[in-house]
Amino acid sequence: PPPVAPPPPGPVDLVALAREGKLKEVVDLLNQGVRPDPPTFFELVASCSDPKHLDELKKIYEFFFRSPFRADLQINNKLLEMFSKCGSMADARRVFDRMPDRTMDSWHLMIDGYAANNLGDDGLQMFEQMRKVGVCPNARTFLSVLAACASAEAVEEGFIHFDAMYKDYGITPQIEHYIGMIEVLGKSGHLNEAVEFIEKLPFEPPVAVWEAFMNLARAQGDIDLEDRAGELMVFMDPSKSIASKIPTPPAKRRSGLNMLDGRNKLGEYRVPPKIEKKVVKEQVYVPDTRYVLHDIDQEAKEQALLYHSERLAIAYGLISTPARTPLRIIKNLRICGDCHNAIKIMSRIVGRELIVRDNKRFHHFKDGKCSCGDYW
Amino acid sequence: AAYAFGSMLSAGVDPNNVTLVALLSACADFPSNPSALPLGCAIHAQSLKRRRPDAAPEEVVVFSTALVDMYAKCGRAGIAGEVFDRMPVKNRVSFNTMIAGYMRAGDVDHALSWFNRMPTKDKVSWTVVIDGCVKNGLLEEALDCFRAMQLNRVDADYVTILAVIAACTSLGALNHGLWVHRYVKNQGLSSNVRLANSLIDMYSRCGRVDFAHQLFERMCKRTLVSWNSIVVGFAVNGWCHEAIEHFKMMRSEGFEPDAVSFTGVLTACSHAGFVHEGLKFYDLMRKHHKLPPRVEHYGCLVDLLSRAGRLEEAMSTIESMPFRPNEVVLSSLLAACRVHGDIQLAERVTAYLLQLEPECDSNYVLLSNIYAADGRWDGVGEIRSKMKAIGVTKTPGCSSIEIGCEIHEFVAGDGSHPQSDDIYEMLDLLRYELKLWGHDPKIIVGATDE
Amino acid sequence: SFATPEEAAAERRRRKRRLRIEPPLSSLRQQQKPPSSSAPPRSPRTAPNPNAPKIPEPISALAGSRLNLHNRILTLIRENDLDEAALLVRHSIYSNCRPTVFTANAVLHALLRQSRYADLLSLHRFITQANVAPTVITVNLLLQTYCDCRKTDIALEHFRLLLKDDAPFPPSPTTYRILAKGLVDNGKLDQALELKDDMLAKAFVPPDSIVYNHLMQGFVKKGDPDKVVSLYEELLEKLGSGKILDGIVYGNLMKGYFGKGMEKGAMEIYRDVLGEGSKVRFGARSYNLVLDALGRNGKLEEAIDLFDRMLKEHDPPRRITVNLGTFNVMVDAYCLAGRFPDAITVFRKMGEQKCIPDTLSYNSLIEHLGNNKLVPEAEELYKEMGERGINPDEYTYVLLVESCFGVDRVDDATGYFQKMVELGLRPNATAYNKVIGGLVNVVRLDEAKKFFDQMLEKEVKPNVTSYELLLKGFINSGRLDDGLKTLKDLLLDDGVTLSQEIKELVEEALRKEGREEEMGILYEDVEREKAERLAREAEEKARAEALAKEEEERKKREAAEKEAAAARASAA
Repeated sequence: PPPVAPPPPGPVDLVALAREGKLKEVVDLLNQGVRPDPPTFFELVASCSDPKHLDELKKIYEFFFRSPFRADLQINNKLLEMFSKCGSMADARRVFDRMPDRTMDSWHLMIDGYAANNLGDDGLQMFEQMRKVGVCPNARTFLSVLAACASAEAVEEGFIHFDAMYKDYGITPQIEHYIGMIEVLGKSGHLNEAVEFIEKLPFEPPVAVWEAFMNLARAQGDIDLEDRAGELMVFMDPSKSIASKIPTPPAKRRSGLNMLDGRNKLGEYRVPPKIEKKVVKEQVYVPDTRYVLHDIDQEAKEQALLYHSERLAIAYGLISTPARTPLRIIKNLRICGDCHNAIKIMSRIVGRELIVRDNKRFHHFKDGKCSCGDYW
Repeated sequence: AAYAFGSMLSAGVDPNNVTLVALLSACADFPSNPSALPLGCAIHAQSLKRRRPDAAPEEVVVFSTALVDMYAKCGRAGIAGEVFDRMPVKNRVSFNTMIAGYMRAGDVDHALSWFNRMPTKDKVSWTVVIDGCVKNGLLEEALDCFRAMQLNRVDADYVTILAVIAACTSLGALNHGLWVHRYVKNQGLSSNVRLANSLIDMYSRCGRVDFAHQLFERMCKRTLVSWNSIVVGFAVNGWCHEAIEHFKMMRSEGFEPDAVSFTGVLTACSHAGFVHEGLKFYDLMRKHHKLPPRVEHYGCLVDLLSRAGRLEEAMSTIESMPFRPNEVVLSSLLAACRVHGDIQLAERVTAYLLQLEPECDSNYVLLSNIYAADGRWDGVGEIRSKMKAIGVTKTPGCSSIEIGCEIHEFVAGDGSHPQSDDIYEMLDLLRYELKLWGHDPKIIVGATDE
Repeated sequence: SFATPEEAAAERRRRKRRLRIEPPLSSLRQQQKPPSSSAPPRSPRTAPNPNAPKIPEPISALAGSRLNLHNRILTLIRENDLDEAALLVRHSIYSNCRPTVFTANAVLHALLRQSRYADLLSLHRFITQANVAPTVITVNLLLQTYCDCRKTDIALEHFRLLLKDDAPFPPSPTTYRILAKGLVDNGKLDQALELKDDMLAKAFVPPDSIVYNHLMQGFVKKGDPDKVVSLYEELLEKLGSGKILDGIVYGNLMKGYFGKGMEKGAMEIYRDVLGEGSKVRFGARSYNLVLDALGRNGKLEEAIDLFDRMLKEHDPPRRITVNLGTFNVMVDAYCLAGRFPDAITVFRKMGEQKCIPDTLSYNSLIEHLGNNKLVPEAEELYKEMGERGINPDEYTYVLLVESCFGVDRVDDATGYFQKMVELGLRPNATAYNKVIGGLVNVVRLDEAKKFFDQMLEKEVKPNVTSYELLLKGFINSGRLDDGLKTLKDLLLDDGVTLSQEIKELVEEALRKEGREEEMGILYEDVEREKAERLAREAEEKARAEALAKEEEERKKREAAEKEAAAARASAA
């Protein structure tokens, strides 16, 4: 009997495949002419949540765009969301531009997408465009705008939009907006200014504010502010305390705290510290150009030494492996004296063991010394 | 065997296939015997003369394969190839034989092309190719082949693995080596002493003598080679005390040290500058073990003396050698001359060296550098004109590093690596830091409330 | 020229964005790479200019393994292992996990709070060389370091880079505050004013009350109350909101009014901003400034009231209105009113609020007590310092020496001085003069001379006062020969000049003894010795120069020979 052709896969199969992450198969089936219905399209788009699915998402979009329901708002919005999750705002923008209708969500998704992809500038431009076409921003819009300001490190504009919110649009800022503003300041490195902003809040700052600020201080590496915020956070919500937290060592520099700065007469009675020049004479590296054949000029000689193959191999090894792991290099000729000297010092500078096997012996370089005892 | 064959023919006995094949493999097994090749040819001629149309194809295959093997092993890869080409039917054995033949002749391209045309490949085929690649210096290709072999789900035997380990050893490919070690364990080959020995060698040649030692400690049975491997391993990595220690342990366990063992322990002594111990071991070798010193022992001895600055003694050792010194021996003395700035001796040594190997560039460079270091520019000029006259060129230096399971090779000034920009940026930073080193001006700090 | 502030701000942001998209040429590497490995050695590379403007990485770069590194480094910082933290940052540059600028900032911040300036600058130099683009925090830390080290000029140089058109980010209010304070602390009020005007002109940040307060403080210290008040009025006008709600300015404003003799005005401000229903925000710092203004201007009762109020409001961690400075100010206020037991009581109360006094706090109280002959109380505090692990400094000892001399405990005074020297502290000539002067006063001249000699031994240069104290002592007690010896030393020291007054004093003494002519002889001796010394020095200098010249010529000759020989060698 003639082989029975398998029934064409239905939408259910597509969705199942997509949920398993088999998006390539989905695209193959679409290529074979399978036509999904809108809910299926929605599901397919929603499964492309990772940058590695970008190609598939693009293809799915092309099929969608050629389908009769290409104007479907929900699916289009989902596309905006997923393209930005996949890290391609250019594609998101294309979808956006081709959308016949847009909702507030569409605008928000775009601005949020730009913010999340470090393109806050474009996000702010989007906001400008939004106002130009006459869409009136709402409270949610300003969250996106503040996220874009944070991403673009645009402090000035952050304040301008924050103020405009109430002044021009009559929207009373909510906790989220204040936190958004703290993020704008914190991400731009304006930590002290963020603290002042919190202190000026018209209400008692809730835990969420301190928590957000603590995370910013931590990321920006200010342990004092991190501690202060952490203390307040735990004070308000003891469940957030970390038992194993190491107490911060006391600071030696306490200027501005004791009110007596102007009365410190120590300088009047003390010999100024000597100009301290710490010279590590034990190892001086001067390129030893004797190791290059003598028919090139001095600079070229240094260059020639600098780009000896073992150094290239070491440099590549450094950028390819974690800090402090040893590197093993194999060289076909005997290592030259200059490289030997240089690698000795390098082993100390980079904090690694560098093991070079040349055609004669092994050299284990560590802490500025070589196992061969400088005989090569 | 040749004689027996002659009398057989003269007796009019028609030699059958089995006899001929036996004879051919006899020829193949003794390629250095001067009568092997002529006899093989004779058999070939005989067989052509007496070609029997009714011969069973299997017999023909077996016979031709033996012919191919004979020609290949006697160094006539071309004729072997012709015979092979004319074979109407080829089986796996004949393929394997032919590939091995080409590999032996260094004709890797032909070998690989036949290998690729093989309909089915068995363990032997893979082994022949991998081993051939290793022997012909195509180490990375060997590892690639091994990987392909795994993908084709062909199990390797210890012969294959020995070849693979040899490749890792030469490449310094530690990660591959570790992988192979795991493979050995999984295949239940851990107790194979030869494998363990070559793994010890691999680890120590990859700079992980600690792993080598671990493996050595875990071996239930050790041979002289095992001991030698670990002693040499310690020695070349500069673990001199451990090398000497293990040499002593080996003797106390009743192993009679051989030339290699002494090479190891002498290398250790020269590495660490133990002149006194080194000379004692040298005496022990000659007097107690009655081993005639080989060139590498002289090498160690000269190195040992040179490093200690006893250049004249080193020179007289060279002069007292019963055979001509090799390049290694002389260049270690030459290098010592450079360190100690002894130009006269350097010139004497170089005279020797240039006689010995006029094409070796590194000696010229070394001498030229010795002259240059001393400001003897006339000498430099002389060397350079000599180099030009003979047509010596510098071998390009080449370094490799294994990252993950990939080997990356670099030559000086290389810009071909995909991450070249990052590499050079790193070199820029290193250059800057190197120049700073030793001259790190700590910035002046004014009066503060410290 | 922009229609709205929003447009102006957007334009500044866009400029930064352009920098991100098209980095300026100076930051691009100019180099050609050989197409293949067979090409000749690479042409010399021009190292990238590490100071070329670069956009810092966004904070989202702090993810994955780079975030793990950040956390690892933060742990090291909390363990106070800053050496390891700095080393790990360096080593991570040489790896597949480069530290972010945020991680580098964390270490720089930790080094700053431990006053490890040299290490901070060294790490900063390294990350700059390694092309880690700085953020505004990095720059602020650097500026703070230079200001702490009194190198305000270098700080200003770095600051100006932020004002350039292609700067990757503008300064933050904190940047201006650090600089303003640094300039004021170093007495550079003009530059501080310039900075403030610049801040107003550039509009990166709104007029900042903290910056203004630093300036006001500077003028309070300088004794220019009019300027203090006019700065306040300027700020009020710039903010244009009718009232400054940041309490930080009011303490110094009150001092301004007090300075102008307008006590009533000062107290009106006080009642206004701290009165019922006032919207002005006060934290510990602003309170302390007001408290200080009261205490220094005879308003102790008001100060005590305010202090009580501050203690009542203090509700850590939520609200912090009392800190170390508060106690220092109160101690000052009690002392100024002569109420020393109360001062000591307040000082001891510090611990109740978890405030730990520092050396400065102790010095301040010891100074007050010493000046009022309460030496046992001062010594009690000194002992306490030792027990609490707070290290006395040169000033502490100078205060003790002065106090003991003040109550005729000469042996104890010299004992304290000796103790300081033994501890390895480095008193300068002014400090030595305290002990020398004290001993001269009680006519223990040989001991005074011993300290003078010790100063020379320790390679501390005496100043003119040191000589004069000793000289006067000898003359006044009739030890004319010792006096002349000292005078000769003074004249031979090129660093000091003899004053007319002292000259006359010596001449007078000589006249009395009828040894007028000795003055002339002394001068002649001095002239001769000076001339001899000069000749000797000139000779040595000439010899050294000749040697250097010879060496240089030899080197030149050798280089030329080498060159020629090398050329011959290459030609061969």
